[in-house]
Amino acid sequence: MGKFFRMALPPIALGLLAVGHYIGLFVAPPDREMGDVQRIMYAHVPAVWVALVGLTLNFICSVTYLFKQSWKTDSLAEASAEVGLMFGAVGVLLGAIWGKPTWGVYWTWDPRLTTAAIMLVTYMGYMALRRFVEDPEKRATWSSVVGIISAVNLPIIWFSVKWWRSLHQVQSSPKTVDPEMVVPLRVSAFAFLAFMILFIIHRYRIAQYERQLEVALPEALPGDGAGANRTAGAA
Amino acid sequence: MSSLSSLVVLAQAAAGEVGSGRIQGGWGFVWVSYGITWGALALYSLSLWIRRPKNSPVGPKE
Repeated sequence: MGKFFRMALPPIALGLLAVGHYIGLFVAPPDREMGDVQRIMYAHVPAVWVALVGLTLNFICSVTYLFKQSWKTDSLAEASAEVGLMFGAVGVLLGAIWGKPTWGVYWTWDPRLTTAAIMLVTYMGYMALRRFVEDPEKRATWSSVVGIISAVNLPIIWFSVKWWRSLHQVQSSPKTVDPEMVVPLRVSAFAFLAFMILFIIHRYRIAQYERQLEVALPEALPGDGAGANRTAGAA
Repeated sequence: MSSLSSLVVLAQAAAGEVGSGRIQGGWGFVWVSYGITWGALALYSLSLWIRRPKNSPVGPKE
């Protein structure tokens, strides 16, 4: 199953991305107000969507780890946070570029933008924490707590445009968008989703390998058996 | 009367803008955005390739 995903997902993701972005750039009509600049949507919106999916997965793994310690869960939490952060950074950067021709500024402390910036800072902190803590068990526990605290912001990002007056538009739906715009948006979203799954699979394997090396190391040190009673890949 | 004719002129101008967008041009912003997106996907793929486990992990894989 894992091998199928690793082999089949790259061409699927690339194909969907090529089709989605081609339609978005050259076939879909320009927006009535924003003209061709609106075509940034087909990259910006899917990037933010999959970032939120990835970081929600990190929240689920963080909660799960605190109830049932497992290197698999910890590795998946690390993988989903890094991949979610990467897509989130792309989404925020593209939003800033889109803001210049439409709002006149690259950045403003609007509720949506501010909460998105908080998301980037908190998950950069999460990744930094994972780098600084050497003890794998402490790292897994502490980063789970930080992952849960960071996830509080995720629904706030989603609802910020509804709760507060914002320069950023509210979420669109297929009922409010031209069907010719819905198709490239959906195809691009599935492309980004495929990339996210692929990236998480590979990043998870890297994290699992690192856990195995870390947990195996104390066994090789004389007089230090810490962590030797748990192996990577076993709960 | 003159203000009414001005409004008519403005309305005609606005109608002409519908369909092509009031913001004209901006393709530079679009290409930069897509370039960043494709570049990020390529660079992150490369980083995963560079960091891939060099040896087969010992023990159960799944």
